[in-house]
Amino acid sequence: MSNPELALLVAVPILAATLPLLVGLRFDSVGWPIATVAALVEAGLAVFVASRVATEGRYVHSLGNYPRQYGIELVADGFSAAVVLLIAVVTLAVLGYARRGGAREKTYYSAFLLLCGGLMGIGLTGDVFNMFVFLEIVGLATYALVAAGRSGRSALAALKYLLVGTAGASMYLVGIGFAFVATGTLNMAELSRAIPETVGYSDPLVVASFSFVAVGLSVKAAIFPLHTWMPDAYAEAPDTVTAYIAALVSTLGAYALARIIYSVYTPAFFEAVPLAGDALVAFATTSIVAGSVLAVIQSDVKRMLAYSSVAQFGMIVAAFGLGTEQALLGGAIHLVGHGLMKVGLFLGVGVIASAYGVRTVREYANLGYRSPVTVAAMGILLLGLVGIPPSVGFLGKWYIAWGAIEAGAPVVAAVVLFSTLLTLLYVARLLETLYFRPPDDVEGAVPAADVRLRSDGGGDADAGTDDVSADADAGTDDVSADVGAYVDVDDAGMAEINAGTGTRPVSFGMVFVVAAIAVAAVALGFAGPVFEGFLGPFLEAVL
Amino acid sequence: MTALSAPGGGSLALSALDGVATVPLALSALSTRYAYATFALLFAIGLYMMIASPNLVKKVIGLNLFQSAIFLFFVSMAYVRGGAVPAIPSEGGAVGAYASPLPQVIVLTAIVVGVSLTAVALALIVRLYTEYGTLNEETIREVMDE
Amino acid sequence: MMDNFPLYVVLVSFFGMFGIFAAHRRPNVREAVTVVVALAKFGLVASMVPGVLAGKTYVFSAGEFVAGIEFVLRADPLGTLFASLASLLWIVTSFYSIGYMRGLDEHSQTRYFASFAASLSATMGIAFAGNLVTIFVFYELLSIATYPLVAHDGTDEARSAGRKYLAYTMFGGGVLVLAGTVLVFFLAGTVTFTPGGIEGLADVANSNESAVQLAYLLLAVGFGVKAGLMPLHQWLPTAMVAPTPVSGLLHAVAVVKSGAFGVARVTLYVFGPEVAYRIGMGVAISTLAAFTLLAASFIALRKDHLKQRLAYSTVSQLSYIVLGLGIFGPYGLIGALLHIPAHAFMKLTLFFCAGAAHVETHTDHISEMAGIGKRMPVVFGAFALAAAGMAGIPLFAGFVSKYYMLIGAAEMGTFAPVGYYLAGALLVSGVLNIAYFWPVVYTAFFEAEDDHDAKPLVDHRPGGERRSTLAVTDGGDPGDEDADADIGPTDLRPDFSGSGSPGERRDYSEPAPLVEGKYAVDANPSDHTTPEEDTRDGGEDRNEARNGSEGRNGAEAHTAAEEADTAHEMDDYDAHHEGPPPGGWRRLSAAEAFRGEETTWFMLGPILVAVTGAVLVGIIPYELGFLELIELIVEGVLSGTEVPA
Repeated sequence: MSNPELALLVAVPILAATLPLLVGLRFDSVGWPIATVAALVEAGLAVFVASRVATEGRYVHSLGNYPRQYGIELVADGFSAAVVLLIAVVTLAVLGYARRGGAREKTYYSAFLLLCGGLMGIGLTGDVFNMFVFLEIVGLATYALVAAGRSGRSALAALKYLLVGTAGASMYLVGIGFAFVATGTLNMAELSRAIPETVGYSDPLVVASFSFVAVGLSVKAAIFPLHTWMPDAYAEAPDTVTAYIAALVSTLGAYALARIIYSVYTPAFFEAVPLAGDALVAFATTSIVAGSVLAVIQSDVKRMLAYSSVAQFGMIVAAFGLGTEQALLGGAIHLVGHGLMKVGLFLGVGVIASAYGVRTVREYANLGYRSPVTVAAMGILLLGLVGIPPSVGFLGKWYIAWGAIEAGAPVVAAVVLFSTLLTLLYVARLLETLYFRPPDDVEGAVPAADVRLRSDGGGDADAGTDDVSADADAGTDDVSADVGAYVDVDDAGMAEINAGTGTRPVSFGMVFVVAAIAVAAVALGFAGPVFEGFLGPFLEAVL
Repeated sequence: MTALSAPGGGSLALSALDGVATVPLALSALSTRYAYATFALLFAIGLYMMIASPNLVKKVIGLNLFQSAIFLFFVSMAYVRGGAVPAIPSEGGAVGAYASPLPQVIVLTAIVVGVSLTAVALALIVRLYTEYGTLNEETIREVMDE
Repeated sequence: MMDNFPLYVVLVSFFGMFGIFAAHRRPNVREAVTVVVALAKFGLVASMVPGVLAGKTYVFSAGEFVAGIEFVLRADPLGTLFASLASLLWIVTSFYSIGYMRGLDEHSQTRYFASFAASLSATMGIAFAGNLVTIFVFYELLSIATYPLVAHDGTDEARSAGRKYLAYTMFGGGVLVLAGTVLVFFLAGTVTFTPGGIEGLADVANSNESAVQLAYLLLAVGFGVKAGLMPLHQWLPTAMVAPTPVSGLLHAVAVVKSGAFGVARVTLYVFGPEVAYRIGMGVAISTLAAFTLLAASFIALRKDHLKQRLAYSTVSQLSYIVLGLGIFGPYGLIGALLHIPAHAFMKLTLFFCAGAAHVETHTDHISEMAGIGKRMPVVFGAFALAAAGMAGIPLFAGFVSKYYMLIGAAEMGTFAPVGYYLAGALLVSGVLNIAYFWPVVYTAFFEAEDDHDAKPLVDHRPGGERRSTLAVTDGGDPGDEDADADIGPTDLRPDFSGSGSPGERRDYSEPAPLVEGKYAVDANPSDHTTPEEDTRDGGEDRNEARNGSEGRNGAEAHTAAEEADTAHEMDDYDAHHEGPPPGGWRRLSAAEAFRGEETTWFMLGPILVAVTGAVLVGIIPYELGFLELIELIVEGVLSGTEVPA
């Protein structure tokens, strides 16, 4: 039962988190290199664990070799391996972006690594109390990172997140307290056996314990109406932090919920207490609608994407609440897919904010022609979020819809399908602004003056400036601006143009990361059978 | 593990929750299970304080109260009437009933977590205070919106 | 080896799209890429036709896509029919696009051509999709790929049309079709297209009829959205704000026919004609289609804007196809399927003609077209031929398909009375077709600029009212002068005196009446004879035929006017009004017309090709391969089915 790679996955980043502070006493700017080395080690371990799970199936590591009745187990199965892989990939992606686009402080990277370790812990632990500890480690690191925005706003957002998040985690603690009272164990596998054997599923103690746990984790997963911390935290945090926490923190909250539902209470609990599952699904379904509607009315892009997360997590939790095999598979796929798409989107937002200093939907007017690669990648990710095939977003939706019909829940199926339109509401608004709204009628938008990519109505750069008037393009008043800008306006080039205006340079790496994530999101759209094969044993075990 | 599988508070806590509906049972629950009643009271007060008070420090105090209630809950459920300290005597040999050690450990850990959270919260509050000169959340929001 | 051809057909224009992006700075290379890709695509499709006719099916499978469902592209007769049609017409439209886009000096042409290539890629995917999930993938991609074309102008109206388009098609695709697909998979355990219907579904229809009915409705209405089935047709007229080639190929052939094609797939290959009839849903959809075709025809009567009228005509004609699919029996199916190519050739001709009139004379409204036949004899001649086909006059494409459908409907009437009503609707609609197309032809050829009936007729005095579209030479009424006051007279009224032949003279003294919306030309009001274009593309033959000496003297003034136009968007109406120039349309002789005086050969050529196609489909449908393919399809789906007699 000793498989130290599982313990290392958790321990490496937590131990590495101390290094930037220690080494930092002697050297400067060691944060990023240390974090990157740790992330590479993590990625290697994650791949190793995933391949072992793919061949051997579920396996465990008992910390200190204590038996699981009172020791702590780390468990790797299909679901946790998938999440661990996601964490490793997202960590690498965000670090790749952060080399030029992130913070320089050593403490920043300490908190970042601590967060990474906590997330790995949630993903791997097989003990409900241990999960609480990791939830709080994640919480602590996240609060600190959100507050790294250095503004009063970010401090308040962090404090709000801290209060709500801690309350949620405490609810979770009360819930597992009840479960402990009922069964006398804290190990997930033991609990799932002990609950029906000692007290039975419909025992008030078990029901109360489930309610507390579900509410507590719903706070972490930002299910409406417990989502209030999320938009502020996402909007006020630095861009790299937003990308990281948007992709992983709520994801692991939802993962914890699924893990507790299926590995502790098991679907038999839903059969014995139908109200529990129904209530969860009802809240989650409301979340889909409310999140989308709230997203549409936002003007800040990060806030809009935050509310979009509320809706998407609604879909994921609804899938978990349905309890059929396909729904659970869909929920797991969407959990991973959504994390991937959101990290790409928030990093894209970061690229645009770095290059042009704009953050609202209106100011995004016409950026599709100024940063073609970044915006195209974001467009693909946004369409993936809508569920346009082939993309990982569609895959999740397909399985969830199928699961809902299988579970005989036509209302949920209808909401999941209609969520396409709801998501389209805000996605289309952003896409239209990016590509079709001339910037001239928007105050604060990036002017299109020096960019002539969009006015390619037969214009030819070689012909010099004589043909400028030929581009009878409404809005290109100032076309006499330098032809040099016309030649291949990539993101890096634009950033140089903007260097004087207080915005930060955009490196090739930053754009590359966003583009690579978009490609991955599309490629994963074809990976349905892979997901199915990988998660199949897990599904069989829990259902 | 025998002590753990039938912890002292387990079934009793259950009856306490069950009996709220009828007055005599509720009364008896209050008189005999006062630890749980205190837990519920502190829990509610803490939560209310966190939500209702506009003062940020008081919110954090509410949070602490809320967490203390949970610690109380864990400690009291581990208690076994007449149970010994859960330590194995050095000369060995079997002991009778003893208090469950696991909740104690949990509470210790949870206290550590709680303290660090409070530290982070207070650090944030200090920063907010230096920036806005007030601890009142509503005032801070007003200043922000301007 | 040829099994991969369906994949290549899809990919060729997908990769072509990147080529088009890469060549964005070299318009000639870019357009060359478009044409080469279009030819390659058609070549690939055509190379499969003999095999398909011989009974072969080319299947490419990319393996499992989602649980138990493969990602399959297979060229069967129905798919090949649609693919060959769309890829053939793409070649024609590509040339037309070049003429049209350059003629109007449109902006964002790279995006336009790239989106066009992507749209065709998705269309081929729809044609060759081997199961419901695969067709759904491409159906959604088509919606996305077409969106930039609809919103091309970037004006408020175009953007709102784009939004509407996305909302409607995503509702049809992402909601209804996906729901239906999931339901079919749940009920039958497979979604693979099978001639004559998925076997398991027939059994389910016996035990759980309402679920099968729901699945059919979801799928048929979901695909029907793109086919403009009422009441979900609203996006189509709105989308006419797109450039005319888009309206022509996508909103008369590729996109809307994907919808009709989807209904065909669902009816014939998922449920099978027998089950569709048995659960009563085939007839229900047919009835909805019959209502749509009549209602749309009536609306078309009232539209003065030519493209709007054509759009409602499309809504109406697409319903023929849907209606025919609901007719249980071989003739109805043959008619419906034959109407796919027939309508494609005819409607493409009509749109091309409308676009040519738009580019050459900026005339969009039928009421402004009095006597335009003199100026554009070939174009409006072609228009008349295609319109006659639409009305189902023998020797034209529309006749054959409608004839089959009528026989089918009458035959169905012998065992289901609803057949007679459907036949009646078809006949009435033929009359309505004449009613809304004849006025266009009549106005163009048989009325004079200074003496014509005010249109639409119902808006004016009973018995008709005489009007003149000619500019009043006294400078218009005072109100109009005020509107012009803020624009310098030299900007808008350049002096063309003695600068060219009288037919090309422009006069800006009379503002045209405001139209109900703005179209591409309004935002980009330049004319195709701008001198800039000559310098840019001077080496190209397309301008040589046309320009001669005219227009060059006015070059400077014209450019100035253009700049003023961009600054004052609303004034574009004043600067480039519709209708004839003062003194009436110039009469072109046939020789002049074919020398390219009428319009560029980039547009005239495609029009002639399309109208020839429309006539040939009417005369030799079998020899063209279409009817042979269709008979193969119908044989396949009806084999083993007993049609009650």
